[in-house]
Amino acid sequence: MERFLLISKKEFMKYQKYVILLIIAPLLAFSVHKYYISLCEVEYVEEKKSVQIIISHFIDDLEITLNNEHKKDFFLATNKEAKNIQEIYEDYLHKHLKFTINQKPAQYQFIGKEYDDDLVRFYLEIPNVQKLNSIEIENTCLIKDFEDQQNIIKIKVKKFNKTFYLTKSNVKGLLKFQ
Amino acid sequence: MKKITLAILSLVFLSSTLFAQENTQEKVRQKGHYNSSKFKQLDEELPTPNKQHMASGAPGYEYTQQQVDYKMTIILDDENQKIFGEETITYHNNSKDALDYLWVQLDQNMRAPNSKTNDVSGGGPDALYTPAKFTKMFMGKPFQGGFNIDYIKDVNGNPLSYMINFTMMRVDLPKPLAAGEKFIFNIKWWYNINDYMADRGRSGYEPFPDGNNLYIIAQFFPRLAVYNNVKGWQNLQFWGRSEFALEFGNYDVSITTPKDHILNATGVIQNPKEVFTKEQNKRYESSKTSFDKPVFIVTPEEALEAEKSKNTATKTWKFYAENVRDFAFSSSRKFIWDAMAVDFNGKTVMAYSLYPKEGNPLWEEHSTRVIANTLKVYSESTFDYPYPHATSINAERQGMEYPMICWNGGRPDENGKYNDRTKKGMIGVITHEVGHNFFPMIVNSDEREWTWMDEGINSFVEILAEYKYDPELFPLSKYPKNIVGYMSGDQDQLSPIMTQGDNVFNFGSNAYAKPAAGLFMLRQTIMGPEMFDHAFKTYAKRWKFKHPTPADFFRTMEDASAMDLDWFWRGWFYTTGNNDIGIKEVKKYHVTDKPTEQAENLAKRYGITVDQLPPSLYLVSEDSKEYTDDLKGKKPEDYTVLNNYLQDNFSAEEKATLKAPKYFYELVFDKPGDLVMPIIVEFEYEDGSKERKQYPAEIWRLNDNEVTKVFPSSKVISKITIDPDEETADVDTSNNSWPKNTETQFDNFKKNQIKG
Repeated sequence: MERFLLISKKEFMKYQKYVILLIIAPLLAFSVHKYYISLCEVEYVEEKKSVQIIISHFIDDLEITLNNEHKKDFFLATNKEAKNIQEIYEDYLHKHLKFTINQKPAQYQFIGKEYDDDLVRFYLEIPNVQKLNSIEIENTCLIKDFEDQQNIIKIKVKKFNKTFYLTKSNVKGLLKFQ
Repeated sequence: MKKITLAILSLVFLSSTLFAQENTQEKVRQKGHYNSSKFKQLDEELPTPNKQHMASGAPGYEYTQQQVDYKMTIILDDENQKIFGEETITYHNNSKDALDYLWVQLDQNMRAPNSKTNDVSGGGPDALYTPAKFTKMFMGKPFQGGFNIDYIKDVNGNPLSYMINFTMMRVDLPKPLAAGEKFIFNIKWWYNINDYMADRGRSGYEPFPDGNNLYIIAQFFPRLAVYNNVKGWQNLQFWGRSEFALEFGNYDVSITTPKDHILNATGVIQNPKEVFTKEQNKRYESSKTSFDKPVFIVTPEEALEAEKSKNTATKTWKFYAENVRDFAFSSSRKFIWDAMAVDFNGKTVMAYSLYPKEGNPLWEEHSTRVIANTLKVYSESTFDYPYPHATSINAERQGMEYPMICWNGGRPDENGKYNDRTKKGMIGVITHEVGHNFFPMIVNSDEREWTWMDEGINSFVEILAEYKYDPELFPLSKYPKNIVGYMSGDQDQLSPIMTQGDNVFNFGSNAYAKPAAGLFMLRQTIMGPEMFDHAFKTYAKRWKFKHPTPADFFRTMEDASAMDLDWFWRGWFYTTGNNDIGIKEVKKYHVTDKPTEQAENLAKRYGITVDQLPPSLYLVSEDSKEYTDDLKGKKPEDYTVLNNYLQDNFSAEEKATLKAPKYFYELVFDKPGDLVMPIIVEFEYEDGSKERKQYPAEIWRLNDNEVTKVFPSSKVISKITIDPDEETADVDTSNNSWPKNTETQFDNFKKNQIKG
C-alpha cells in the first residue's frame, strides 16, 4: 500500500497516509496519491477491425521514470517540456507495453496523447485485426522505479469484460476466445 | 514464493442450443425469498439503538466516555536518535462498569524486530535491494524498534503486573476499578527512533545531508485504548494501517531537546520566555494580532544560523493541552516558523507552519494561508474550531494528522522551483491533514475499525476547502466521476466501504475517495446543499468530543432531513455495486379522440361498449398500427371532447393560461447497474433549447430493472441524455443517450486529432 521510491530522491509527493485517492486512472484526478497505478483500457471494435488502446499514467510517476532513464529533466506538461517529448513517450511505450494478437507480436500506431489534470493519456491503435482469437498484453511500465506499481488492464471484446491487475511479479495478461 | 508469470483466462461462449434446451424444460416451481428490495430499511444491518447511541443518531442520556489525563516528561536524544519518557496516567472510569484491567496501546511495537506486521505481509521478491535493506531483511540486523518498558508502577511505587500482546498491553489492576473511580499509575519507557525515510513510518526522523534531523514524533508513548459499550475494549492490534481509537483527556507535557531546537506540539507552550530568544518571544506574542498575513516567529536567517552547528546544551519545552485525544510534537534545528491569527467569532486561533529552508519558497507562500482557509471552511460545515492553534509541519513524504499538529510533504526542487503539481499536492495534503482536526480528532470516530469515518468524511469536506482556496487548481467538476474507474473495476478487488480497514482492497479508493464521492453526490444531487449541510452539521455537533459509530452518522443524516437514505447507505456503503442507468427506448405518442385497442379492451373488461366509455382522449404511439398520418399535426385542443370540457369549466382568462402539450413521449429507462440512483434526464428540443428533469431514486422501488415514464412536451425532442453532468458515478455512459451515441472516447480523440 505504501510506495517507496528507490531510485530518485527528487522532490516528490508521497503521502504516507494521505493515501489517496485513486485507483483506476481515467477519472481519478486527485492531486495527491499514494497508490501507484496505471490503467490501460483495450477494446476490440469489430466493425472497424481495430484494437483501440487508451493507457493512462500519473504524470508525476512517469516523469520520475523518464528522468531517471534519460538522466535529464523533461518538465512534463509544463511550458518547459522537452521538445522531443513525443518521441520519448513513443520509445518508452514501445519498450514497456507490448501486444501479442493471435499469437503474433502486434505493432500499434501512436495516435496521440492528452494531458488531463494529473494524468497523461496515450491513444494507441492496432488496425487490421480481422478476427480476435487471443490477446496478450505485457505491461512493464513504471515497475522499475515503483516497486508497488500496479498496472491495470481492462479488456473489452464485444460484451466481454476482463480486468487484469499486473504487478512486478506478474507482467502479462492473456485472454483467449474459443 | 509463488510467482505467476502468466494469467490465462478462457471465455467459453454459452452455446445457443443449451439455451434452447433450458427453455423447453418444464416450468420449475418458483421459490419464495426474503425481502431483497434495495429500499429495505437498514434495521438488520445497524446495531439496535440504546440509551447511549440512540435511534435518532444522537448520543443518549446514558452516554458515557472514559477520560484519560497524562503528565509526561520526555527527553529527545538527538545524538543517538532515542526518546525517553516517564508518564503518569490518570484513568477516569466514567462508565457504569467495574474494570479488572486496562488495555494500553504500544504502537511502536509495530517496528520491533519480532513485529507480526512483517509476517502477515505477502508478496514476491522486490525489484531491487539496497545494501541497507538487504542487511536489515536477510542478515539478522533488523532495526531495534519497539518500546522498552522500564517499569509500570502504581502511585505508591508498587509494580503492577502486565502482559504484552504485540501492540497491546494489559495492565492488571490491584482491585477492580469501580464506576466513577479513577486509577493513577506510572510508566517509564524508551525506544529507538526510526528513520522514516527508510522504513516509511508515520513518525520518526528525516535525516538531512547537513547532518541535522527533523523529528516528527507521534504514537510515542503508551496510550490507553478506548473502552465503551460498542466494542468493549477496542484492542484490535495496530498492524500499521488502520489507525487509532483514543480517549479525550488533558496533557501536561515537558520535552527536553537540544538548546538550539525549535519545537511545536499539541497544546500551548507554557514557558515561551524560556524556549524562545527575546526577539522570538516578542514575535510569538505579536503574531497573535496578525490577522491579514503570516509573520515570522523564527526567521529563515535564524534557522540557517541554528542548523550550522550543534549545541549540546538542552532546554525544556512545557506544553498543556486540554480535551485532546492524543499528543504529538515535531522538533528540529532547521525550523523556520511563521504564524497568522484567525478569528472565530471573537476567539483567536493561531495558524502555524514550521518548515526547513528546503520547503521554501513554497511553504512560506502557502502553508499558513492553507491552514487558515481549512479551519474556516471546516468550521462553517461543522462548528467553530475549538483548539488554540493548528500547525502544519513540513516533513517529506508525509501526510499524517494529530490534534492541532500534522506532518505534510511537498517541497520545491534544489533550485526552489516547483510546478503546479507540487503546489497542488502540498496544498491538498495540508488541507487534508489540518481538516483531520475535525474528523477524527474532535468528532472522534474509531479509526481502527472504520477508516472511512475519518478519511472518507474528511476527504469530502477537503473537496470544499480546496475549492475555496483555489477553484482553478481544485475544480469541483471531477467529483463524483473520479470514482467511476474504481467502482467499475473487477469485483474480486473491491470491498464494501463498511469493512474494517485492515481488510480493505484498494485502501485509498475504498476508504477515502468512494465515501467522499458518495457524500459529494448526496450533497449536490440527492439531498441538495441546504438539506445536506444542516444534517451534516447536526452530526458534527452531536458527536463533537464524543465517539460516533457509522449508525450514528447514517441515522443523524436522516433524522435531521426527513429523507429516507437507507437505500443510499445500503448500496454505496454496504455493497460493492455500481451505478449504470440507460435510456432503452423512446416512443412518441399523439393525441386522438378515437378509442384505441387498449381502450376497447378496457371497455370489454367492464362489460360495456366503447360508446359507453366516458368522453376521453387517447394516446397513440407512432409505431402502432392505429397511428395515422393525420394525427401528426393535431393539437389536443383540436378535439371537441377537450374543448367542450375547457369551455364548461374555465373562464376565458383561465383558459388563456392553459397550455396543452403537443407530443407525448414514453421513455423506458433500464438499469444494468446494481445501485438505485435518481435518474437525471436532459431533453434537447428541435429548437436547441434544453430542459432537465430529475426523477428520485424511489422510481426504482417496484422494478429494479426498468421503469417507464410518460413525458409531455410542446416541442419535438431531438436528443435525450441521462446524467449529462456525470453527477451519479454512472460507470457506463454508452447507454446514456438517445439517439444512441456509438462513438467511443477513442474515436472522439482520433477524430479531433485528425482535424488537428
